[in-house]
Amino acid sequence: MRSPSGVTVTGAAVTEFNRRRDNSSFRDWSASAFEQALRMSGLERRDIDALVVASESDFFTLQLNPASVLASDLGLTGAACSRVEGGGASGQLAVHAAVRAIQSGHIDHVAVIGVDPSASQLDPATVKSLYSYSFDAWTDGMSGITSTALYALSFQAFMQHSGLGISELAEVTRQNRRNATHNPGAHLGRTHTLDEINQSPLIASPYRRLHCSPLSDGAAAIILSGSRLTPGARRAAPSIIGIGAASDTAHLGARENIGSFAAKTRAMQRALKEADIRIADIDTAELYDAYAGAQLQAIDALGLSDNIATDLLDGAFAPTGTMPVNISGGLMGQGAPVGATGVAQTANCALLLEGRYHPPLQPSALPRIALADTHGGICTTAAVTLLAGARA
Amino acid sequence: MIKHNLPLEYTLAEGWLQPFSSGILSGGAVARQCSSCTEVSFPPHRTCRCGDTRGSWITLDGRADIHYRTMGADGDFALVKFRGADTLCTVKLCNFAADQRVGQLRAATTGQSLPALHLYPVQEHT
Ligand SMILES: [Zn+2]
Repeated sequence: MRSPSGVTVTGAAVTEFNRRRDNSSFRDWSASAFEQALRMSGLERRDIDALVVASESDFFTLQLNPASVLASDLGLTGAACSRVEGGGASGQLAVHAAVRAIQSGHIDHVAVIGVDPSASQLDPATVKSLYSYSFDAWTDGMSGITSTALYALSFQAFMQHSGLGISELAEVTRQNRRNATHNPGAHLGRTHTLDEINQSPLIASPYRRLHCSPLSDGAAAIILSGSRLTPGARRAAPSIIGIGAASDTAHLGARENIGSFAAKTRAMQRALKEADIRIADIDTAELYDAYAGAQLQAIDALGLSDNIATDLLDGAFAPTGTMPVNISGGLMGQGAPVGATGVAQTANCALLLEGRYHPPLQPSALPRIALADTHGGICTTAAVTLLAGARA
Repeated sequence: MIKHNLPLEYTLAEGWLQPFSSGILSGGAVARQCSSCTEVSFPPHRTCRCGDTRGSWITLDGRADIHYRTMGADGDFALVKFRGADTLCTVKLCNFAADQRVGQLRAATTGQSLPALHLYPVQEHT
């Protein structure tokens, strides 16, 4: 394994993901996540050279240039600040921007904050319309198609060539929500019966309501440091060993294989090459499960299993399995404030590698290498990050 | 709580997509054919999958076959292939029976300003 990046995750924190009813705003959640991550890093505010903010939509924050506002709020005035946006991949792309900034040699410590409000004060039809602009608004948008329907069409094509279907959707749903019951910050920790899942309202066949991730309020923060400048107390912190990003056609219908997340495969290959590791070296993965089927498509595209149906039923993806997936509960269980998701995945991976994750979910054998996988659109923008524990 | 009321009415210029969107308004499917590899894309690709930007606009008859279909509370949508096109397109299905597989675009109704990829069922006798 190579460690070319020299980037350490010195601090990591995730707020609760849920629907806030306490009159708090995205600025409060960002401050809370940042304070906690900064404390963990052992650094001072003045040490932070740059702030990178991931936030998908001004429609939800009603704030253009949110990085400048957060820099002031967090006492980082004077630091370079910018925002990164790539739909659902925003958080992971912000992590990548910070990694490359440190690797440039001109920046020592970067704070990455991912945040989005669920905009639950808007009526649901408006929120649905706004999210449909995540796809090509000038062409696909003319059909009025929703995010769930577009994902459903892609999953139908995946079902045809993979042989996976309704029972696997139910099992992913059960596992992710069950994991979330042990995550005190999760939006939807639930113990579902198969009947509850299979009888929940049909949104876009084959997707039912319980196969979908919720829209949540929340924030996540990490502090990244050049490895040579990592504070002494954080010498055991995990590092980022490889990143990869790629894109696919904006039109789902223009793809060679409608059901495959090809951009994810390409992003993964790039990250593996940079880290100089094999897929078999990965011990745990946080995957982008906007829908239960998207998790199956991700496992397939990332090459994490040779037989998904068998591995799923055998518990290989459970927290005690051979390749634990979405220990946090994923987007379906932990929740999904869009800009925060990718940063939260990276934070979760870092905490798992350090043995600092929520005790009921922390694997007894410390994982050595973790994968965070995110995408935007219908896997139009893919971004993956590989992390290694200090003892890897 | 701080209240904001923000009514927005967008009128976006169509730019390069103008033949495509005006085609839909008049009930036609105006596609793009690549000069190099002859692939026909609908919706049109400004740059073909082969990498060439040169091409011409061609009008298809607006008839399409369903490849994948999804139904539920969000509506009735499909990935269809317009006849004469090489790529699939997402459309909204209007009044399709469960076994109906073929549809046709229709011209916009009076007063409708938004081009819409809406498909209406047609019976084909073979
Ligand atoms: Zn071509």
